[in-house]
Amino acid sequence: MKVREMRKKQNSGQVILIAVLAMALILLSTQIYVFEVQMSTINLNSNPLNNYLFAIKLGSRNVVIGSIANISSGGSNTVLAANLDKWVALVDKQNQFGRSTLNYTVEETAPYSSGIWFSWGTEGFGVSSAFVHFMFNLSDRQVEADLSYFVNVTTTLTIEGTYRTVGADEKQVNVTVNLFNEGKPALASQVTLYYRILDGWLRPNASNSYAITDYGNGTYFASFLANISSSTVEVSVLVSDQRQILVRTNATCSQI
Amino acid sequence: MFDNKGQIKIIEAFLAISVMFSVLVLTAPMSSTPDLEKQEKLKKLGTQVLIKLDNNGTLGKLIEGENWTALKQSMDLLLPTGVFYNLTVYDENMQKVNTQEVGNSSQPGPEAVVIQYLCVTQSSDTRFYTIQLQLAWPE
Repeated sequence: MKVREMRKKQNSGQVILIAVLAMALILLSTQIYVFEVQMSTINLNSNPLNNYLFAIKLGSRNVVIGSIANISSGGSNTVLAANLDKWVALVDKQNQFGRSTLNYTVEETAPYSSGIWFSWGTEGFGVSSAFVHFMFNLSDRQVEADLSYFVNVTTTLTIEGTYRTVGADEKQVNVTVNLFNEGKPALASQVTLYYRILDGWLRPNASNSYAITDYGNGTYFASFLANISSSTVEVSVLVSDQRQILVRTNATCSQI
Repeated sequence: MFDNKGQIKIIEAFLAISVMFSVLVLTAPMSSTPDLEKQEKLKKLGTQVLIKLDNNGTLGKLIEGENWTALKQSMDLLLPTGVFYNLTVYDENMQKVNTQEVGNSSQPGPEAVVIQYLCVTQSSDTRFYTIQLQLAWPE
């Protein structure tokens, strides 16, 4: 019994050593974990020059988005060039990595004119788009970089309508709306629907049992009841996407 | 035999202290890299944080809406804990725009790096801002 206790006492130093080793391991792994977590949110392996070029491209894109949002809501077509001129002047003043020079040309190939294409048609298809090409040059004793890129901001709207007669003149109208940003389904910030009565456009409301369903994937389904004497039922949809770019299109509903 | 026991204990204690000390020495460089490397890392960190905020137009919206509290909260969230920063926004005429301080330190220190970032709002009333971000690691 005494011998066992003696051995226990003799081994206590080794137990302490093992405990210290375990503590050291925990300390080390905790420190590594905290460090990794802090750094994982940011990619620090990226090149600072790449970051700068990316920021320039991002700014160019924002300029085009802002300009097309302005023009689509009634602004002058010259807004795009005016904003681009300001942006170019601002970038040219930068000298973080050397002398920066930014140039741009607006797309002139049809259907674009002065970098802008609006087609708010009657066939259930509407487009608001801007297309600009950029050339960026960075020159320094150590760095020489040329970068060509383009920014194409396009909001597309498609609508499809059907109706069925439910009373003498009363019609049940269903409209499916699809919105796209650069060809990909996008969410709208506002969808406004109109239907034609004689020479005027009316907005359906609660008295028309108007209801609109948002499917959350860029598709919206609207339905309403209206007294339309004509056998031609025309609807018009005005949509503002999440970038505040407006697009509109009209369509003639088919009878079911 | 009994005389040696004390010496063995001392050696064991010495070993334990050495292990702890070497771990502390090993982990120290993680938080204290050479100055130039540290500054380079800070620059990358700052630019990436601003790009992240600007990517969906949030940065421009916050500045345009003069929502300095939300901007500070976003920066606090994106920057690692302990990094000192001070952000100043200038308009096209290089007039200071932020009426409220955006940062956790008014003077990040002599070791601070400065990042200049151009921000354009996505709104129809396009506005151009120059952001100056000062960053410093904790001492």
